[in-house]
Parts: sequence; structure tokens; C-alpha cells
Amino acid sequence: MAGPLKVVYFVNQFFGGVGAEEKANIPVEVKKGPIGPARLFQQLLGDGGTVEATIICGDNYFNEQREQALSDVTKAWQEAKPDLVVAGPAFDAGRYGLACGAVCAAAEELGIPAITAMHPENPGVLTYRRQVFIVPTGASPVDLPDVVSQMFQIALKLTSGEEMGPAETEGYLGRGIRKVSERSEPGYKRAVDMLASKLRGEPYHTEVPFEAPEAVPAASLQRDLSQATIALISTGGLIPIGNPDRQVSGNADRYFSYPVDGLESLTGDDWEAFHGGYYNQIASDNPNYILPLSHLRHLESQGVIGRVASQIITLPGVSTPVAKSKHLGAEMARELKDAGVDACILVAT
Amino acid sequence: MGIPVAMISAIYNLALTTGANRVIRGARIEHVCGDPDLGPEKDFAYGLQIVRTALQALETDVSGPTLFDPDESAPAREAVHAS
Repeated sequence: MAGPLKVVYFVNQFFGGVGAEEKANIPVEVKKGPIGPARLFQQLLGDGGTVEATIICGDNYFNEQREQALSDVTKAWQEAKPDLVVAGPAFDAGRYGLACGAVCAAAEELGIPAITAMHPENPGVLTYRRQVFIVPTGASPVDLPDVVSQMFQIALKLTSGEEMGPAETEGYLGRGIRKVSERSEPGYKRAVDMLASKLRGEPYHTEVPFEAPEAVPAASLQRDLSQATIALISTGGLIPIGNPDRQVSGNADRYFSYPVDGLESLTGDDWEAFHGGYYNQIASDNPNYILPLSHLRHLESQGVIGRVASQIITLPGVSTPVAKSKHLGAEMARELKDAGVDACILVAT
Repeated sequence: MGIPVAMISAIYNLALTTGANRVIRGARIEHVCGDPDLGPEKDFAYGLQIVRTALQALETDVSGPTLFDPDESAPAREAVHAS
């Protein structure tokens, strides 16, 4: 990057010095120059650049009026034309972390390099780690100067056009991107060395980190089954025959809802299976195998359940990254909640 | 308040290890809720048994991943072939 760096910083109401929780509803404000952690960043920049402006937004405002907030932030960038956007650190503050992630993702989309920092378990990490460079922090702001300094190091690399190295050496949270590269030792030797270190009780670093599944507390049925509305979901790739919605057979970006009121059963004349992960013919002949509408209707007519929900939900559950699945699941849950559904039966192939 | 989910899967072990709370053992990957080899009547009865088990699971409070097996009197099921 030629010439001094133009930086626009983003902080919440607390780090912006406006106030604590009682000010969490303030809308986007743009202040000239560095405020709060941005001052530390300015010190590190020295003559190499200027924090032109600090954008401050309340945690609640940002998360409740996300589109408006992002549009105001973007407007501020159009005026300041930053070479770099810095947000946070948010530490373990969830709403702040989500705001920082959203701001950096928006900057990246506009081609502006961006950096933020937060605790690895901040929901902002779960949502944005694949799009955004995030420096891991502790839960509390005690190490603020160190974190800002780490953000600065990565920012320098991002703006210099130098190639960014892997997460483990550069010090950001892995984005789940694999790149082909050469290591000094062949794989078999690294594996055996790792095993030997493990047996000796010495530290070692896996090259294939295991992401432990998140434990979700089990919800319980809030209504008697005979009064309950039960929804049916299938990840078996159930589609209306001929695929009028042009659904994909794997790695779906969205799910589809179809009305089934008045429908007693799914027949192979009207429905079929389209899923890249199993042999589809049996389910295409009798789609109730992957979405048991006929069975649930039978139980509805006997009064075992209150009613079958008006909409079924389907998608092909194959080759879908966990992050995407999570997003899709959250959307489904919202739709089901709005439809007054009490419980679901989900068939997975 | 969350919405309880009963997940029917032939690869029930995978569902349990990835954290699904109410898992119902399905028949086969290709025909999770029944078995065409049984003929229409028994096939439907088998599917019904699986769905009833799912409903029982929804009525049962669980504290973590739990397997619900449709009645042992159900037709024998072969091991599944993951594809």
C-alpha cells in the first residue's frame, strides 16, 4: 500500500465511551479521529497511517436494526474511503461480536480489508469466521493492548498485499480454508512424530482439527400430543416431480417448504427424491419413506396427534458444511415457530 | 422455548454422535420409514411403528442424545450400507 493508511474503526457504545447498557440503543454515529481502542491502533500506526473516523453503534441497535446500521456504516466508508476497517475487540460480548463480524464481512464484500478480534466462543465467530479475519482473545478486556497489537500485525499484512500465511502461524482464527502447500517433512513422518510426541506427553499440533459437535439442550413438548401440531422435515432431497424449483442434489443453499393441507399421502406421481448421497429410486417410488406423511395422517385421523403442520420442509442433506446447516436450521426453526408448530419429525437419509 | 425434534435415521449412530437429542432407528438409508420388501400392508405398519416411536420420543424428556428403537417385534433389519 503506497502512502499512509486510511483506517476507519468500529466500536460499540461502551468502547466508544458513550455509556453502558443504558446506551445500547444508540444508532450509528461517526466521530472524527480515533476513540477508545482506536487510539491504541493509532499509536501503533504512528506516521504510517491515520484513524480517520471511529464509528460507534449501540449493541442492541446494531442487532435489531442490522440493515439500517450496516447501511449507515457503509455510507461512512463511502465518505472516508478507508484502506482498512478495524472492529472491536469484542471479547466475549455476543452482540458486539456479531456487530464486529457483520461490519468486517460488509467491508470485505466491498473489497476493503478488515480485521476484528473476539473470544473463540463469541457467536460472532460462529457466524463470520469463514468470511472474516478474527484474532482470538480472552473473555475479558485485560489484554486489550496485546490484542490490538495482534490485530495491527495482521492488518499490516492484509494491506501490504503480502500473502497471508496459515491461521496457526499468523495468529487469526482458522477460516476453514485449505490451501495446497509444501511442508518440510512428508505426511507419514509428521504423523509418526505427532504420535511419538503424544505418547511422550509432549505438545503436538494436529493438522486435522476435530470440531466437536455443539450440544444443544433438548426442548420438551409443551402440549399434549393429541393437541400438538407436528411438522415433517426431510433431508432426503424430496422434490415435486420434474424439479420445478430447480433444486440441487447436494450442498443446498436453501430449503424448500411445500403445502400439504388436504394431501393424504405422497405419491411417486407428484414427488420424487433428488439427493446426491444415496440411491433415490426406492424413495421416488414411495416418497413417504423419506417424509412419512401417509403415516402421520393416519395418526392424525386417529386423534393421536392434533394435526399435521400445513407445510413440509425439504432439502438434500449432503455435502453441506456445518456452518451452513446451522444457518438453515435456524431459519427452519423460525418458520416453524411462526407457524405455531409444537414439534417436528425429521427424516435423515 | 425450543421446538423438540425427533430425528429418524438409519445411520442412527452418526445422529447420536453429532448431538441429535432424540434419535429413532430407521430402516435403511434408501427407505428410512418402511421396507418395500415386506409388501404394502406390513410395510405401512412398520413405517407407522417408526413414526409412533418418533412421537413417543417427542413426549419423552431427554437430557442428551438418546436412541429410541421401534419395537423389537419389528421386522429384522439388516446393517446399513453407507453411500
